[in-house]
Amino acid sequence: MKQKMVLKIFIIAILPLATAALFFSSCKKAPKIERPIKVGIIDCYSGPPAVYAKDALNGFKLALNEINKEGVLGTKIEYTTRDTKFKVDIGLSMAKELVMREKVDLLVGTISSSVALAVSDYCKGEKVPFMVWISKSERITGEKGHRYVFSTGENTAMAGKAGGVALAKKPYTKYWIAGDDYEYGHAIADAAWRNLKKLKPEVELLGQSWWKVGEPDLIPYITAILAAKPEAVIFCTGGRSMTNVMKAIKATGMAEKVAIWIHTATDHAVLKPLGPEAPEGVMGTMDYHFYYPDTPANKEFVKAFKEAYGEPPGFPAFHGYITAHFIAEAFKKAGTLDREKFIDALEGLKIASPVGEIEMRACDHQAVLPMYLGVTKKVPEYDFIISTDIVTLTGDEVMPTCEEIKKAREK
Amino acid sequence: MDFASLSTQLLVGLSRAMILFIVCAGLSFILGVLRVPNIAHGSLYMIGAFAAYSIFTHLGSSSSGFWLALILAPLVVALVSLVAERALFCHLYQREHLMLLLFTFALMLILDDLVKITWGPEYCSVLAPNILRGSVSMFGASLPRYNLFLLIVGPLVAIFLWLFVNKTKIGKISRAAAVDREMVGAVGINVSWVFAAAFVIGCFLAGLGGALVAPTVSICLGMDHDIIIEAFLIVTIGGLGNIWGALVGSLIFGVTHSFGVLLWPQFAIVFPYAAVVIVLLLRPRGLLKSVW
Repeated sequence: MKQKMVLKIFIIAILPLATAALFFSSCKKAPKIERPIKVGIIDCYSGPPAVYAKDALNGFKLALNEINKEGVLGTKIEYTTRDTKFKVDIGLSMAKELVMREKVDLLVGTISSSVALAVSDYCKGEKVPFMVWISKSERITGEKGHRYVFSTGENTAMAGKAGGVALAKKPYTKYWIAGDDYEYGHAIADAAWRNLKKLKPEVELLGQSWWKVGEPDLIPYITAILAAKPEAVIFCTGGRSMTNVMKAIKATGMAEKVAIWIHTATDHAVLKPLGPEAPEGVMGTMDYHFYYPDTPANKEFVKAFKEAYGEPPGFPAFHGYITAHFIAEAFKKAGTLDREKFIDALEGLKIASPVGEIEMRACDHQAVLPMYLGVTKKVPEYDFIISTDIVTLTGDEVMPTCEEIKKAREK
Repeated sequence: MDFASLSTQLLVGLSRAMILFIVCAGLSFILGVLRVPNIAHGSLYMIGAFAAYSIFTHLGSSSSGFWLALILAPLVVALVSLVAERALFCHLYQREHLMLLLFTFALMLILDDLVKITWGPEYCSVLAPNILRGSVSMFGASLPRYNLFLLIVGPLVAIFLWLFVNKTKIGKISRAAAVDREMVGAVGINVSWVFAAAFVIGCFLAGLGGALVAPTVSICLGMDHDIIIEAFLIVTIGGLGNIWGALVGSLIFGVTHSFGVLLWPQFAIVFPYAAVVIVLLLRPRGLLKSVW
């Protein structure tokens, strides 16, 4: 009797355990991925652009820490970085090395548009997904776009259109365009003017000034523009020339005489080093501010970023952060590491971000980002100048339509 | 095209010419006395700007910090150049020009990297002191105060240089050394130290130019390359080794640039270079007498 009881208890106890073990072991086999997901990051980690590249990488790392806590498909996302030194040939060979030797699942990068376009072309041939996070050439997801390239950053078409849309609402009709004589400057100018002219046909272009990149002395350009008496000036500048332009605007008191719009003039990275020498009253557009929108999600992101890296996130950090989340969510949705399925999953994918929900537009693989139009102003809360009176232009307002993209790609 | 805009454009062009003059006078002085085409001169100008930034921020980014930076930064550059001269240059004066060209080119690359290691790749910015901020109204147009300040500093530097070269003993010796260095040695003067002094003074001027330009630009790597090409063109059209040639060249360069911007803003970059071509076609050895 006693022996039978023991056996019975034994069977009752063991049987469910055994079946459970069997069930779980069989479960484990199907979706569990044995190896980590590998992301190859190529960006410029030397020279002046490194500041932006590191900011983006920090945003990416912060997101990965959150993501890897619960894991993706039962595994983790890992990354390796390579320095492009802002050179196309180095960037391209680094991309090849990551794909062929490191066997990464996808590539992410870079700040240089020329490197991004070259790598994009390589990825098209190799059928490797490539996510662009900082460089702003509209050709990446525009005329040179294809199935394997995505962009999580804003581009010159969006920036220019944002400027055009914003300026069309203002009463000015006499314009002057000035900027750095290279692709970024001309791309912004073309997009801004094209959209402004379309929305407000009576605008008139009095003239243009283009200086060489890094031109140290911009005062003669400003005084010459002021002599022509335009009502508004569109500056198309970035990088080191941005500081020179802002200083020249301040020194000549230009912002008090004419309306000025400069894309990224309201960027913290531009305004902070200028301190009190940043001009007030300059209109600027930006796709991310750590102090705006004033939502819990953004505050939480900024707090976590500050704790980890000691300073507030710049726009590249925001791009890096959403890039990581797009990757994680797309792999979760695809349920596999297959590259084609990853791309299918990423198309039209919506993720939660510090600035609200962001969609990866299926037709051109461009993240739909809002643009924040603001005016530089000194406020008592901060000891640097910030963007105020911010108006949000939605992604749909500032992005080229899918038909326009289609037309550009057919060319 | 009214009087107001023409006169502001002229003044703005002249103020840029003052910075160019200060840098080019140093380059030309070294060229004249030492016969060294110092390509690293632009790097010393950049170090001047970065040193001004460091001194300025260490002194709490105040107005007095700026004035001190303006005095100390060129001295820092002078010190760097003294070390470079005593350790490196003084062994090389007898070599041919090509060797010196290659050597100073190498020095430029080394200094660039040292700047990158010391100050990092970020853009830096110096604030002008309160009284030099903003602009003043002149002839109905506004002119930045800092540019007016440059218009005062430039002639002052020119006067000091003139006094130095013509009235001091070392200035006279260096002029003599520029013409005939063997003769100077023959009359019992230690030429080596004359050369060192001339080199340090030339580099001091580069540092002063860098410190003066600091509040108007973003201080960053690459500003050396921007100025060195312009500086060599100016020195060439002025007459190699002639300080006053550097002044004339700078004035031509600065003013043609600012008027070019007013007349044809899209292609303004071309004007100063076109002026250089015209000058060299008419006077291949430069406008003023070259000591070479």
